[in-house]
Amino acid sequence: MLAKSMKPLGFLVLALALSAPAARAETYKVGAIMAMTGAAAFYGTVMTRGAQLAIDEINAAGGINGNKLELVIEDHKGGKPQPAVSGMNRMINLHNVQAVLSSFSAPTLAIAPIADEKGIMVLNGGGVSAKMIGASKYLFHNRSLATDLARALAVRAHERGFERMAQIGIKDEFGDSVIAEASRIWKKLGHTVVATEQYPQGAINVDTQIAKLRASKPDVVANWGLTNEAGRIVKRMRDLGMKQPAITMEWGKEAKKAAGGKGDGTEVVSDFFAVTDDNPWGQRFAKAYKDKFGEDPEYYAANYYENIFVIAELLKRGAPWNGAAMAAELRKNPTFDSVFGGKMTYQSNGVAIKRVGLFVVENGDRKFVKLTSTKID
Amino acid sequence: MDLLLQLAINGIANGSHYALLAIGFGLIFATTGIVHFAYGPLYALSAYFVWMSVAWLGLPFVAALVAGVAASTVVGMLAYLWLHRPFERNQSPAFVVMIVSLGLFIVVENGIGIVFGTDTKVLEEVTYGIHFVGDAVISELQIAQVVALVLIGAALALFLKLTNYGKAVRAMTDNPDMAAVIGIDTVRISVLVFAIGSAIAAIPAVLVLIKDGATPAMGFSAVFVAFVAVIVGGLGSIRGAILGGLLLGMVENLGMWKIPTEWQSSIAFVVLFLVLLLRPNGLFKGQ
Repeated sequence: MLAKSMKPLGFLVLALALSAPAARAETYKVGAIMAMTGAAAFYGTVMTRGAQLAIDEINAAGGINGNKLELVIEDHKGGKPQPAVSGMNRMINLHNVQAVLSSFSAPTLAIAPIADEKGIMVLNGGGVSAKMIGASKYLFHNRSLATDLARALAVRAHERGFERMAQIGIKDEFGDSVIAEASRIWKKLGHTVVATEQYPQGAINVDTQIAKLRASKPDVVANWGLTNEAGRIVKRMRDLGMKQPAITMEWGKEAKKAAGGKGDGTEVVSDFFAVTDDNPWGQRFAKAYKDKFGEDPEYYAANYYENIFVIAELLKRGAPWNGAAMAAELRKNPTFDSVFGGKMTYQSNGVAIKRVGLFVVENGDRKFVKLTSTKID
Repeated sequence: MDLLLQLAINGIANGSHYALLAIGFGLIFATTGIVHFAYGPLYALSAYFVWMSVAWLGLPFVAALVAGVAASTVVGMLAYLWLHRPFERNQSPAFVVMIVSLGLFIVVENGIGIVFGTDTKVLEEVTYGIHFVGDAVISELQIAQVVALVLIGAALALFLKLTNYGKAVRAMTDNPDMAAVIGIDTVRISVLVFAIGSAIAAIPAVLVLIKDGATPAMGFSAVFVAFVAVIVGGLGSIRGAILGGLLLGMVENLGMWKIPTEWQSSIAFVVLFLVLLLRPNGLFKGQ
């Protein structure tokens, strides 16, 4: 009797199930807070190119479980915290972003409390200040931070037998942190920092700083300039008669141009992105980038390309479109394929371990020398 | 002492650069009363015109320089005729004209980035040597900056003193209403000073292009420094603009002898405050 009375109910349930609408494909909006205007607009350009390229590839392959990704870009105007905060709030309130690509240290630090409050996963591929470590439980980095690169640079200078180091960098969160860390390690190695000069953000003329570096008679100059600044500093050093070697943490097309042919011999310690035979994904990325934009990718483009694939991988692993959930999934399984080759693993502090390479500038371009150590003997 | 000498050399060279910017900006400001904020990005545009003439059109440097100055002159004139002049005709308040200029600033700066890209433009074809003064270094580019100031400053002074147009500019600087009453075509003179000011801006722009490369945002610091130098030197005075620029350059460099260089950008404001405290009309009251 019971079975008979259950039949109509069963038919009803079946009918309801068949009539339920199929799950609709969603569009997941990924936020990006970049330097789209101002003196550092070059960064925003290459970073968003990398991210958009990844999104286009993922969407062309059908998206993630049928859902597409979309990039929403906000401008922090070259590293200003206040526009970064406004942009973050806009993206959350208007677009329901659950993952944000951040850049530059100061804007990343500024949005970190919002990430904590709203449970938004933030992926940084550009800023290097060690102050970002622990700023938010949802903040992760896929580039070596200042502490790693400062250590690598100091170790290299020590390896070459130098005693007196002069430093030059920008006066901001990043500049302060690399200079402080490099000074600490250099002194720990028993050497002397003979001059530390900093220039304001956006400054083009650094002649005063170079004059003071020159007067301090260093053995080596730690050049913490980024993109074109790195090249401009070396050029002005040579213009003003300085022959001391320079070691920097960045050397790309912008630095090459700004150096005006005077960059040869500069050493570079940097995250090691190279298009090699043992890195087929990197080869595909570099080709796609070159085909679309007409130039080889900077490693910043590679970082943000990679960050989008980290998000995609988290969603494929079953994490819902929720920042806190994605961050939890990342911590549970912190290893991902890397466009830099092989795998990368996020440490408990949120920083992915990446290989740091030593390069030397020849004919304006950086040439790989060896993998370098960040350990102090 | 070597450091002091080097800082003095840098100060004179940088000061010459600032003085050139101040001359052009000050001429426009004093004659028309327009705070031409767009002077900065138009200065940047001059550098890009020269770069484009070499890189895209294949012109030799000297021809590119002439083309760049000419293009800058035309753009400056058009900026007045198409943007400022309609607001003047409507007798808009001065702050409205200032906002318009700020708007042009943003449009031109972003337009440069869109058209030319945000990467640094350089002219590797143009090189220069260095010379030693004791242990201090002076580059041929720094010498060019000083020589440019001397030549342009002298030429402008002679123009203002000896030519009818120059006298008309001075009359309009003194009293634009009276200048109109006595029959001076103030619109024509305004176009003229925009042309001259923009042409002058092209010279320091090209020198910076050779020395440091050009970027879309390079105009901001240029107009800021020009504005401060003009106020320090005294509005309406070419001599004041030159001395204001040189003073800024020297203080920015020599002032860093013992002070950390991160304070360099603040020093301009300190100079501005001190001078205006002691001489509210600037170092020279103007002609």
